[in-house]
Amino acid sequence: MFSVLVCDDSLVARKQVAKCLPQDWDVAVHFAKNGQEGLASLAAGKGDLLLLDLNMPVLDGYGTLEAIQQQGLKTKVIVVSGDIQPEAKDRVLSLGALDFIRKPVEPQALADVLDKHNILHVDSEPVREVTPLDPDIRDCYQEITNIAMGQAGDHLARTMDVFVELPIPNVNLIEVSELHMMLSDIESHEEVTAVCQGFLGPGISGEALCILSDSSFDDVAKILNVEGEVDDQLQLELLMDAASILIGTCLTGLANQMDVNFSQGHPIVLGQHRAITEIISMNQIKWKRTLAIELSYGLEGYDVQCDLILLFTEESMKMMNSKLAHLLEDF
Amino acid sequence: MSQNLDDLLEFHWMMDMLQTVDVGIVVLDKNFSVQVWNGFMESHSGLLPSEVREKSLFDLFPAIKKDWFMKKAKPVFELKTRAFMTWEQRPYLFKFPNYRPITGSESYMYQNITLSPLTSATGNVDYISMMIYDMTDVAVGKKQLEALQVSVSEAQELKRTL
Repeated sequence: MFSVLVCDDSLVARKQVAKCLPQDWDVAVHFAKNGQEGLASLAAGKGDLLLLDLNMPVLDGYGTLEAIQQQGLKTKVIVVSGDIQPEAKDRVLSLGALDFIRKPVEPQALADVLDKHNILHVDSEPVREVTPLDPDIRDCYQEITNIAMGQAGDHLARTMDVFVELPIPNVNLIEVSELHMMLSDIESHEEVTAVCQGFLGPGISGEALCILSDSSFDDVAKILNVEGEVDDQLQLELLMDAASILIGTCLTGLANQMDVNFSQGHPIVLGQHRAITEIISMNQIKWKRTLAIELSYGLEGYDVQCDLILLFTEESMKMMNSKLAHLLEDF
Repeated sequence: MSQNLDDLLEFHWMMDMLQTVDVGIVVLDKNFSVQVWNGFMESHSGLLPSEVREKSLFDLFPAIKKDWFMKKAKPVFELKTRAFMTWEQRPYLFKFPNYRPITGSESYMYQNITLSPLTSATGNVDYISMMIYDMTDVAVGKKQLEALQVSVSEAQELKRTL
C-alpha cells in the first residue's frame, strides 16, 4: 500500500494535515514528530510520500531534506509550512522537495499538488468542503460588531480624548488548527503581548483575546496618562488596563444588542505567565471550530497597533442566532 | 402590605448573603468613600463597617496610591467597563493576613480584584463595587510549580554536564 508520512512537531498540525488527505485515497498514514524520527520511518519504508514541516526541534525540515539527499532515500517530499517566504520555498525546492504548500493545509490545495505531481491517481473530487458561515449570519454578526464598535469608539473617544479608527470586523468560522497557528504566531513574535479573558452569558460563551504590539506601550501609557518609565511590570499593567477597556466596551455593546449580560473572568496574560501552546493543547480536544470576530484597532496620531479577537464557541451561535433573529428576519 | 413585607424579608436575607459571602465586597462612591464594607472585609481588615463608612479609601489604607487607583477606576465610572487587577501583577491591594494563619505558607493574602460599575436608575454610574478574591492557594501552587520546574531543569542540566 502507498504510505504517507506526516512529519510535524505539532500534534494538531499532524492531525490537520492527515485530515486533508483525499478521503478515498487508500493509503497508510504514519506520523513523525521531527526530522530524525521522520528519517527513521523513511528508512523503515514508511513513507512513499513525505509531508514535511520546516520548523521542528531536533532536526528541522531543511536538515531532513539534506539527509534525504545524502542518504539517497526514494521518497517524494512536499513541504507543508507556515513560513511562506519566497526564500523558504526556493530553498526547499533546491533541496529536492517537489512542492510547497502553505499552512493551514486546504484539502483542495493538497489534492491539486498531489495531482500535479502524479502522486494521486483518483479522478473523483471527494474533497469535503468545510461548511462556510452563512453569508446572512456573517453580515449580521459583522453588523452588530460594527454597532458595538461604534459605541465603544464613541466612549473611548470621549474619555480618552483620542480618535479611534474604527476597524471593519472580520467574521469567520475558524478551525482549531488555525487558531493554534494564530496563537503560535503571537508566541514567536516577541514584540507582542496578549491577554485573554473568558466571558459567559446565557447560552453564550467565549474568550476575548487582546494583542498589543510592544511598540505601542509608550503611546498607550500616554493615552492612559501613566507617567514614569514603562518597565515590564508597568507594561503588564497597561496591557491589562487597555485590554479591560477594549474588551469591556466591545462586549457591552454586543451584550446590549443581544439583550444579555456577560460575566467576565479574570484576564490572563498569555506567553508571559503561560505558554500559549500549553493552553491550546489542553483545550484542543474540547472544541473543533470557533466563531472568530477579529478587530484591528488604530488610534489617530498614535503608534498603537492592537488586535482584539472575540472567539465564540460553536454552540453559542445557536443562542446568538436566536437572540439576533429579529435582525436576520429582514434578509 | 404582605408584598412589602416579603420584599423586606427578601432584602434582609439578600443583605445577609452579601455580608457572609466569602468574597470581599466594597462599594465606593465617586469620591472613593466607602459605602458598603461586607463581612469578609470586616474580618480580614479588622475594621468595622461603622469605622469605614463614608471615609475615604485612601485615608483608611494609605498604602493604596491615590493617583494610580483613580486611573484604574476612571474607565469604570466613565465607560462602564470592568477593571481587573491580578495577583500576578500586584500580589495584594489590601495587606490582609493569610486566611490560614497556621498551615498557610505565605504571610499575606494574594488577591484578584475586580472593579465593576454599579448603574443607577438614571443610567449613570455613581458607585462602583470592588470585589476581592483570595488567590493565595493558586499563587502558592503556581510558585511551587515554578520552583519545581526550575529544579527539574537544573537537574537535567547537571545530568547533561556529567
